[in-house]
Amino acid sequence: MALLELEEVRAGYGPTSVLHGIALEVPEGGVVSLLGANGAGKTTTLRAITGGVRWTGDIRFRGHSLRRMATEEIVRRGIAHVPEGRGICTELTVDENLRLGSHLRRDGPEVKKDYDRVFEYFPVLKQRRRLSASTLSGGEQQMLALARAFLMRPKLMLLDEPSLGLAPIIVRSIFEIIRSINETSQVAVLLVEQNARIALDLSMTAYVLEVGRVAVHGAAAELRGDDSVRRSYLGY
Amino acid sequence: MNLQRIRMAPPRYWLVGVVVLFLIGFPTVISSFLASEWAQALILAIAIMGLNILVGYSGQLSLGHGAFMALGAYISAILAHHYKVDYLLTIPIAGLATGLVGFLFGIPALRLSPLYLALATFALAVVTPSLIKRPAGLTGGVQGIGVVQPDPPGAVSNIFSTITGTAMTSDQWIYYVSLFCALVLFWVAWNIVRHRPGRAMRAIRDGEVAAAASGVNVRGFKTLAFGLSAFYGGVAGSLYGLSTGFVSPDTFPVSLSIQLLVGAVVGGLASIPGPLAGAIFAYFLPIESSQWVPNQSWIPAQIAATVKNAGPAVSYGVILIVIMIFAPNGLVGLARSGYSLLNRRLRGATDRETGQMPPDPQTV
Amino acid sequence: MQEFLQQLVGGLAIGGIFASLALALVLIYNAMGLVNFAQGEMAMLATFVAYALVSQGMSYWIAFPVTLVLAFAGGIGVQRLVIKPVERAPILTLVIITLGLATLVNGLAGFIWGYVPRSFPSPFSSESVDLVGVFVSYRDLGVIAVSGIVLLAVYLLLQRTTVGLTLRAAAHHPEASRLLGVHVSWMLALGWGLASAVGAVSGIMVAPILLLEPNMMQSIIIYAFAAAVLGGIESPPGAVVGGLIVGVTINLAGAYLPFVGGDLQLAVGLAIIIGVLILKPNGLFGRAAVRRV
Repeated sequence: MALLELEEVRAGYGPTSVLHGIALEVPEGGVVSLLGANGAGKTTTLRAITGGVRWTGDIRFRGHSLRRMATEEIVRRGIAHVPEGRGICTELTVDENLRLGSHLRRDGPEVKKDYDRVFEYFPVLKQRRRLSASTLSGGEQQMLALARAFLMRPKLMLLDEPSLGLAPIIVRSIFEIIRSINETSQVAVLLVEQNARIALDLSMTAYVLEVGRVAVHGAAAELRGDDSVRRSYLGY
Repeated sequence: MNLQRIRMAPPRYWLVGVVVLFLIGFPTVISSFLASEWAQALILAIAIMGLNILVGYSGQLSLGHGAFMALGAYISAILAHHYKVDYLLTIPIAGLATGLVGFLFGIPALRLSPLYLALATFALAVVTPSLIKRPAGLTGGVQGIGVVQPDPPGAVSNIFSTITGTAMTSDQWIYYVSLFCALVLFWVAWNIVRHRPGRAMRAIRDGEVAAAASGVNVRGFKTLAFGLSAFYGGVAGSLYGLSTGFVSPDTFPVSLSIQLLVGAVVGGLASIPGPLAGAIFAYFLPIESSQWVPNQSWIPAQIAATVKNAGPAVSYGVILIVIMIFAPNGLVGLARSGYSLLNRRLRGATDRETGQMPPDPQTV
Repeated sequence: MQEFLQQLVGGLAIGGIFASLALALVLIYNAMGLVNFAQGEMAMLATFVAYALVSQGMSYWIAFPVTLVLAFAGGIGVQRLVIKPVERAPILTLVIITLGLATLVNGLAGFIWGYVPRSFPSPFSSESVDLVGVFVSYRDLGVIAVSGIVLLAVYLLLQRTTVGLTLRAAAHHPEASRLLGVHVSWMLALGWGLASAVGAVSGIMVAPILLLEPNMMQSIIIYAFAAAVLGGIESPPGAVVGGLIVGVTINLAGAYLPFVGGDLQLAVGLAIIIGVLILKPNGLFGRAAVRRV
């Protein structure tokens, strides 16, 4: 049984439907990327998983259906969703943002260890702990969002375009950290990316969406090797 | 399109005609006292019409329209009392002067968000009674100013007494003066709303930025709406003083502004016939309920007395909440959507273009 | 000079009362961008509850916290019953609803307790104490102390506890908070409860001064509006500073400006509201609002 399973998921906003029956799986501890052009439905897929849009079909997490569950409940079951635009609380300080990540946890000593790891990954967050999150740069905000998601100790992280708007060198270090989080903490990752090359490097399997349907899926290495897939869907 | 308009138009015009005839004939069959109550309802309708222009058509909420009424009433009373101007002549003067004040008030109001405007006008409504008390020489302080109610002119009185067989009282005459003003102002509002200014104001209400982008002079129309709305308030206030026979600080408490709001909300914001329905409702609800309760012998006298005092506030509060939650377009909106639902049912499920504007989903 | 200082202390005391009510307004404004026109009336109702408890023989210092708890529960109830169904409605719809609520609560209190003003007990004696040459009444000092404690408690709750953190997060960033597992809707209810309790303090503090009757808060809410607007309607510390400034201003204006006197103090409150809204709409501590298109 996979950690996350989507079956025939259809979703949309009001009368406009965006997803026309998506099926995908994220295995325990795996990294899966969701690729495709703008408007293909990648973000909507993530939003469906955490209950941000109405959907039909079935979405199961650890074997339990997420149907009719409120976002808060889904998240509490172990899914951390870093949304489009990162969802940083700019009215709060960096430290308060991090505390929001860990506020549901009751395992004090472990939380402390996780904070240490976060500051190891992102020393800049430690320096800016007391500052308002609104003062952070785009890259730093992405780090904060990732750190906050990590502090939730999720089973699965949904990352929506972590590379968006960031300098290539920062993108590389962020992806290194995602890899490290995945490997050392056994957190599965479902990654939405426009930047197919870097996403495929990180993931084991990949799904390519085209106007609300899965056009191609398979092992990341295969997709990378397949010239026609690369040219027609991934654009590099 | 044209055919459809003709087909759709008659019921509306018929309705207006029937209502007008009813309102003209009504006082010939009711007592003079009842006529004066209905005059007050009509006066409220005028003020509510003004409030509607502001809220329903330009999206600015005023919770202090009682203050404009107070201004109009005091202008008339002071002119009539201190300067011996004929009271009927003071009505347009009070309207225009209040309108000017409203227009000037509208300029700083442009800078306020709808929420802040509501807050500032509410504060104005609360403070109005204590502001009135101050220039005591002019306003009569706490005592207020008495207003002499005019006798009906001979010609009108004669017609009236031939029909009813009794002499016309000044209350009945005031009723007709109020009705005349209400009809004229109704006609003015109707025309404004159905033509360019109305469209411009609706566009502003539905989205200022978009309206400005399509070339609507947002600032101009918003201040205009304020001025117009205050004009209506001023006329209503002036008539109000006339019908109550005096003006004093306590004539214009916050609850008057609330009453106007109830009337506007019940009738439906952004509707022209709504104010009449709303005013009748808002005016007679407390009167009827306070008369009904003490007459019920099974209700202990002490409770009845309290209900008489507290009843209007409770029912106004419940009405405001319930209507805003369940029928934000008010009675007229409810009737309209009921009518179109009925139409659709009658014509079968295949919904055709009805030629009518769809009811506004949310008018505030 | 001495009289001036006495007026100043009196102003701070009444300002503390305004500050509590203004803080309640700010809490709700932060939670949902709404000015709660019923805040004053809710406080009045809570004060009547305290009055009922005390006249049942309960000691003042037990009735006080019990009332706050009841006010808290009442605030939550109001949010669940009246506000939640229209959470997404346009702001003016919400404003009209809170106004309806104000009217309703006012009428209810009149219905239950009538309109005859009642004297409300004060736990502080009205005698004065000589503080380095200034005579200050124990009552003023007590009011300042109670207001100060309440404001401090709210500050600590919001800034130092996890509940406070999630409350603030839910208010400012509902979408992001939901993704962090915060029950946003309940946080809004909690905000209403908290505001209701804080507002109740102002009612209980002002009742011994004004006499308790259903319209008691009608003027106080205007001063609280003035305080909240002056401080910047989204700033809790601003509400406190604003409250103190408004309290001192109206006290001094009433004492030293002959044309203001007692009966135009309310007009001073109105002048502050309109002046601030026109000249400095973000108040002293507010941030410039971003205009959303």
